[in-house]
Order: sequence, then C-alpha cells, then structure tokens
Amino acid sequence: MKYALKMTGPVQQVLRAMLEDAAVPRYGLQISRQADLETGTLYPVMARLERVGWVESSWEDADLSISDGRPRRRYYQLTKDGAEQARLALAEISLRREKRRSSLSGTQPDPLGASL
Amino acid sequence: MNSRLQIQAQPTACQDDTLAGLRKILRVTRPDADVELIRRAYEVAASWHQGQTRRSGDPYITHPLAVATILAETGADDDTLCAAMLHDTIEYTPCTLAALSCEFDAGIVSVVAEAAALEQIKGRPGRKKALAMAAAKSADTRVLAVKLAHRLHNMRTVQFIPQAKQLRKARESLDIFVPVAAQLSLDEIEAELETLAYATMKRNRHARSAPGRLLVAAAALLPAGTRARWCQEWLGELHTLPARRDRARFAIQTTLGIPRLAITVRLPAPGRRRSG
Repeated sequence: MKYALKMTGPVQQVLRAMLEDAAVPRYGLQISRQADLETGTLYPVMARLERVGWVESSWEDADLSISDGRPRRRYYQLTKDGAEQARLALAEISLRREKRRSSLSGTQPDPLGASL
Repeated sequence: MNSRLQIQAQPTACQDDTLAGLRKILRVTRPDADVELIRRAYEVAASWHQGQTRRSGDPYITHPLAVATILAETGADDDTLCAAMLHDTIEYTPCTLAALSCEFDAGIVSVVAEAAALEQIKGRPGRKKALAMAAAKSADTRVLAVKLAHRLHNMRTVQFIPQAKQLRKARESLDIFVPVAAQLSLDEIEAELETLAYATMKRNRHARSAPGRLLVAAAALLPAGTRARWCQEWLGELHTLPARRDRARFAIQTTLGIPRLAITVRLPAPGRRRSG
C-alpha cells in the first residue's frame, strides 16, 4: 500500500504519540516529548503531515494567551481522515514487520532478538 | 468572532464594534453629531474595503469603524469621525482623494489626505521625525487624533501580526504615539496605548533573547510566506520552557531541522504526486 507520505521512523513515532488520544490538540513541544523526538526532527514531520492533510494546526485563542501574558501557541490535531489513515498505515507496518520476523526465524523465536 | 479582538480594553471602551455601537456612544459624547453623514462615510468606506480582511480574518471595515468609535469616545467632531472611517481607503484601495471630494466636503478630505501623507513615510527613518514634527506644529490635531486611534486599534489587535513586528509597533507606540497622546491630552488613549505596548513587549520578551534571535534568523531560510507562522510558533514554544538551558537547546535543535523544513514547505501542494 502506498501512503500519502513516506512512513519514516519519526513519522511513525509522531503518529503513535498523537493516536494515543487523537482528539487532543497538542503543541509541538508536547508532541516532541511524547514521541521522544528532537524538535528539529519534529517540525519537518509536522509540516509533512499537515501538507498531506493528516494533521491540522491552528492558533490557540488569542484571549487566552494574552491573559497569560505569552505568545499564542500553535496546536496540532489529527484530522478524522488522518487518524484513520494513520491507524491503517501503522497496523500494516507492524503486520509486515511480524510477517518478516516469522519468515526470517521460521516458527522459532529469534534467539538474538535482532529481527526487524 | 469579534469578541476575540477585544482585549480587556478600558472598562469605558466600546465593546460593540457595529455602527449601532458607535451611535450609542455618540448619543452620550456628541448628541449633535451628524449621524447621517457618518453613516454615509461608513458605507463609502465599507464599499471600498469590500472583500478585504484584517490579519484577524475580520472584514477590513471593522478597523475604520473601531478607529471612529475610539474617536467618538473622545468627543471628536464630525469631520474627524468621517475621516476616521475613510482614512485607509487612499492607502489600501483604488479610491482617490478626488473620488472622496465628490462625496465629502473639503474638511473631511483634507484630514484623510494628511493622514495618508503621514502613512506614506512609513518604514523610513523619517517617520518618527515627521510624526513628532507634526505633533510639535500641531498642524491639525484631528489628523494626529486619527493616527493615534488607528494605532490604538492596531495595538488592541496586535497579536495577529508576527512577533518581531509586534515588538516594533510596541516600541514605536511608546516612543512616538504615547507622547503625542499626552500632548493632545487624550488621557484614556495614552493610558491604554501604554498598557498595551508594555504588555506586548512583555509577552514577546523571548523574541529578543538569544534563542529567540537565533530562531528568527534561521527562519530566514524558510520561504517568505511561511516564516511568520513558524517564528510565532517557536517563540510560543520558547515561552513554555522555564529553564534557560532548555530554551537554548530548543532553539538549537529546532534550527538544525530548518533546512529540512524548508524543503517540505517548498514542495508543491500534494495531489497526484506520489509519496515522498
């Protein structure tokens, strides 16, 4: 299956983190912590996800930031379609990984634990 | 979503940004106002600004209306109120002074013309001097009052422009406009402008810190149309990090990713393209 974007490791990490509670909007730093990614990796990933429409971003309500005396934050959220596509993609990737593991090691568990 | 624009304004300030709101204020401050003339100025301005929006997404006409409302609270005369409605038509629409002269008398048009002339020197180092000189000469205090109200409304809605520009506007407000307001004895405008300017500077203090400056400088690698968004976003993130070391780390790490981000945001919109 072809996805709207290349499912690199960081992309998968971001999607897994965001799918934990797809309805919650988060700002970049939160996602970078939850996905355990440096922000230099995170923002390009977010831009790609946004480009293909899996993620949407929006500014928080200005009144809120002003009463807190800080700049507005940008919040990201999975789109409905994006969440669905992401779940499918991640499921397919782990299935493929499972298959590869069983074909590499037969029915035996991998003694070295080095399979991918 | 007009409510988003109103930032804990002065309790006396008008929260109602409609023509009806303006009328209500005029009944108190200027019972003798020529409401019909002011309404006509509003309609002419609205038709020229048709289709234009503010950075906030609101129709552009909300701005001249707010400027006129601010001035109505100070008891400004009819010409000033009409000029306030029309003050941006010359600069931002194809409207000309000649066109305005056909509909409004010379008093109104000259205030619009002088306000537009002050706007022309925007961005040049001469601006500060010109405004200061105009204030010193008190050539036409009505022109200055329009400029002041214009600035006050822009500072009320300053959160919609990029941080670096917010800081510049805040500083300029304190350096130039607050003293002018004091000189014209427009005390409420002076107080609100000062409060907004200081709040803006405080809110954006990280834009001036070393990490903030690094991010802003590195964002120059991004295509022009996208820079402001990312700058704002990152400066917002800097604010969530209490420790100086974390802010430095955030700025450095984020900067390292900017070349890759630049590639992504330069890509054409996805469609039939295959994944990449």
